[in-house]
Amino acid sequence: MLYRTNAKSLFITSALISWSLLLANVLLAAESMHRGSSNALNLPFVNNFLIVVFIISVFGFQRLSADNLKGIDFIGYLWNIFAKGGIAAYLSIALYMVYRVVTNYSSMQSPLLLHMVYQVNFGLLVLFLAKAFYVWRQLILYHKNKFIQIAWDWYEILLFATLVLTLLNFNYSSLIFLPLLGLIGLYTLFLCTNLKWVAYLTFNKKGRSLILLVAILLACYIFADFFHGFADSPLLVIDYSDVGFLLLAMFFVALYTFAAFLVALFSLPTSSVFEQKSEDLLNFQRLSQSIQQGQSEKQVYDMLFESTVKAADASAAWLEVFKGEKKEEVELCHQLTIEEEQIKRIRHLLLAYNIQHIDYINNNLDRNPGFRDLTLPWKSLIILPIKSKKHLFGVLYLLKDIEQGFDRETVNVLRTFTNQTILTIENLRLVHESLQNERYKEELKIASVVQDSLIPKKFPSDSWFEISTYAKAAKEVGGDFYDFLQLSESRIAIIIGDVSGKGISAAFHMAQMKGIFHGLMQQDMPPSEFMKQANSALSRCLEKTSFITSALYIIDYRMKGFMFARAGHCHTLYYNSMMDDTFYFQTDGLGLGIIRDKSYNNHVREMYYDYNPTDVMVIYTDGIVEARSPTNEEYGEDRLRYMLTQTYHLEAEDIKYAIINDLQDFTGPTENLYDDQTLLVIKFKPTQPSE
Amino acid sequence: MKITNQIKDTTIIITLDGELDASSSVMLDEALSDPEIMTYSKILVDCKDLNYISSAGLGVFISHLQRFEDAQIKLIFYNMQDKVRNVFEILGLDLLMTIVSDYEEAMTIADE
Repeated sequence: MLYRTNAKSLFITSALISWSLLLANVLLAAESMHRGSSNALNLPFVNNFLIVVFIISVFGFQRLSADNLKGIDFIGYLWNIFAKGGIAAYLSIALYMVYRVVTNYSSMQSPLLLHMVYQVNFGLLVLFLAKAFYVWRQLILYHKNKFIQIAWDWYEILLFATLVLTLLNFNYSSLIFLPLLGLIGLYTLFLCTNLKWVAYLTFNKKGRSLILLVAILLACYIFADFFHGFADSPLLVIDYSDVGFLLLAMFFVALYTFAAFLVALFSLPTSSVFEQKSEDLLNFQRLSQSIQQGQSEKQVYDMLFESTVKAADASAAWLEVFKGEKKEEVELCHQLTIEEEQIKRIRHLLLAYNIQHIDYINNNLDRNPGFRDLTLPWKSLIILPIKSKKHLFGVLYLLKDIEQGFDRETVNVLRTFTNQTILTIENLRLVHESLQNERYKEELKIASVVQDSLIPKKFPSDSWFEISTYAKAAKEVGGDFYDFLQLSESRIAIIIGDVSGKGISAAFHMAQMKGIFHGLMQQDMPPSEFMKQANSALSRCLEKTSFITSALYIIDYRMKGFMFARAGHCHTLYYNSMMDDTFYFQTDGLGLGIIRDKSYNNHVREMYYDYNPTDVMVIYTDGIVEARSPTNEEYGEDRLRYMLTQTYHLEAEDIKYAIINDLQDFTGPTENLYDDQTLLVIKFKPTQPSE
Repeated sequence: MKITNQIKDTTIIITLDGELDASSSVMLDEALSDPEIMTYSKILVDCKDLNYISSAGLGVFISHLQRFEDAQIKLIFYNMQDKVRNVFEILGLDLLMTIVSDYEEAMTIADE
C-alpha cells in the first residue's frame, strides 16, 4: 500500500515536472520562432523524452488509481470517465474559445498564448485518454478469462512500445509502419468486442449509459477535432498529432465507446427479458436461502407469490394454503386484484369439473362454457398445486387477461418456483422437527437425571448385612426401581419393583410407587398389608393396561429373620448356608393393579424366614432372567441360581459382579437393552452389632 | 407377531404367533377392542406359537379381563409354552385366568 501511495506521488511529481519543462521548452521555442530565428525546436530529443515521461506518468498514475471492479455499478464507471475525463474536453474547448475571443477582441496574434493553450489541451487530452483507457480496461476484463487477460496485457505492452517511436522521433505515418498500424487496429477491434458488462445493465441504466457514452464520444471528437485542426500548423512549433501512441489510445477509447454505445442501444429491446431472468434467478436464490435465514413458512409463501406473479406477469392471482392435514381448512393467504366472490365462483366451477388440486392450464377460458358463464375479465388460468409426494401444502392460481397467457417457458419457470417452494417448506419443517426432537432429547436427559436421583445410591452400612446394587435402564428412563426405609433401629424395609412397559409412562408410575412406599411404610405395616393398600392406591391412578410387580422385604436383625410379600414380582433367589442350598422362594402373589378391587386381598401371601449368617438373598427384575443371548435364548432362573451356587462365599459386591459379568457374557455386547435390569445382592454377616 | 381369528359358532379362537412385545401388543389390543368380540361367549387364545410375552402384552390381557368377566365371556388360554406360562405364574395371573393344556380341554371348560 505504501509502495502504491509512493508510486502515485512519484507519478504526479514527474508528470508535473515533465509538463512544466515541456511548456517551458515549447514557449522558448515559440519565442525564438516568433523572432523568426528558427522554426525548429531546440533539442527535439529532450522534448520527445519529456512527452514520453509525461504520458507514462499520467497513464501510470491512472493505472494505479483504477480500483478493482466492485459490484456491477457500471454507470458509476461511465460517470467516472465523463466527470474526470470528458469534462477535460469541454474545458479544453472552452479554453480555446476564450483564446479565440481574446485574440479576436484584441485582434492581435499571440503565439505564446496559443502555445500555452495548445500545451494545456495536450495535458487535458492525456488525462482524458488515461482515465478512459483504464476504465475501459476494467470493463473489458469484467468476467474475464485467461485468454482475454493475456490479450489485454500484450495490447498494453504493444501500445506503450509505440512510445519508443516518438522517443526516437520516427514518423509513424511512414509506409513501413502502416501494416503494423493496421494490425494494431484489428487488435483493438477484437478487444472492443468484450462488452459483457452491458448485459448487466437494466433498461433504465442502459438509457442513462447511452447519454454518458454519447458525451464521452463527443469529448473524443472535440479532442480529435482540436488536434487535427492544429496538425502541421505553421503557427506551432510542436505537433502532438505526431505522437503515435496518443492516436492509437484515442482510436481505442473512441472505438470502444462507440461499440458500447451500439451494443447498449441494440440490446435495449431485449433487456427486459434479461432483467426478468436475472430476477427469477435472484428469487430462486432467495427461496433456497430462506432456511438459513430462519424464515417462516409464511415468508416463503410471500416470496413464492410475489415471484410467480412477477415471472408470469399475471393480472390476477390468489394462493390457498392448507392448514393442518385436512383439505377443508383452507386459508386464503394472498389475493391480487381479484374479489373473494370471484374466487368462490371459480372454485365452485373447478369443484364441479373435479380439477381443484391438480395441475391445470387453460389458455382460452372463453372457449369453456363454464368459465364463459362466470363472465370473468381474464382469459387464461393456470393452477399450480404446491405438493410433495405425501403432502399438499397449497394451491396457487394465476390469471391473465390475454389468451395463451401461459406459454411453455413461463409454465416451466412457475413450476420451478413451486418445486423450490415445496423443497423449502419441507426442509423448514424438517429443521423444525429436528429442533423439536433435540428438545425432547434434552428433556429426556433431565428426566433420566431426575429418575436416577429417585434410586438410592447408598444403603445404610451396617455390620450385620451387606448389600450391593446394580441398575441399568433400557431407555433414558425406565420402570425398574428399588428403595429402602429404615423402620426402626433394628428393622429395614427394602422394596423392589418393575412397572409394566418402558419409557416415560413407566417412569411416572415408578415415581408414584416410590411415593406410595414411603407414604405407607411410615406407618410400619406388614408387607402383605402394604401390598393390599398399595394395590388399592394404584387402582385409582394406574393406566388401564399398566401394572406393577413388586416385592417388599422387612429385615429384622434382632430377630434374625425377614418378612416378605411378593406381588407378581420375580421369585427371590436364596442361599441358605446352614443347609448349603440355593433355591427360589415359591410364594403366590398377584401383581399390583391387575385386580382393582378388594378381591385382591385374597391374592397376596406373606412369608417369614429366619436367616443364618452368610446367607445370601438375590433380588432382581425380569430384565435379568429374560435377557436374551444373540441366539435368542433367555438367561433364565436356572443359570442365575447356578451362578449363586458358585459365588455365595464371596462378598455381596463380588457376587453381584460375578452375576453381571456372566449376564453380559451371555447377552454379548449390545448397546440397546431389551428391558431394564436391576439386581440387588444382600448378604447377612456373621458378626452381629454389639448391643 | 401374527394374530389370526377363527370362529366356531359362539367361540372365537385367537391364534398368537411370534413375540408379543410392546409394539405388537397394540395389534392385540385392537383385536380385543373390536366390539364384535363381545358377541361371542368364549374367547380361546391359542398360545402354541407364542414365544415371548412382554409386560405390555400381559397388560393388554389384564385390561380386557374385567370387561370379559362382566360380559360373562370366558377367556381361556391353551397350548402355552412353559416359559410363557412361567411369566403368567410369576405375575399371579394363573390364578386369575384360565390356562389349560390343550384345545380339547379348553373346549370342555368353555362349554361348561
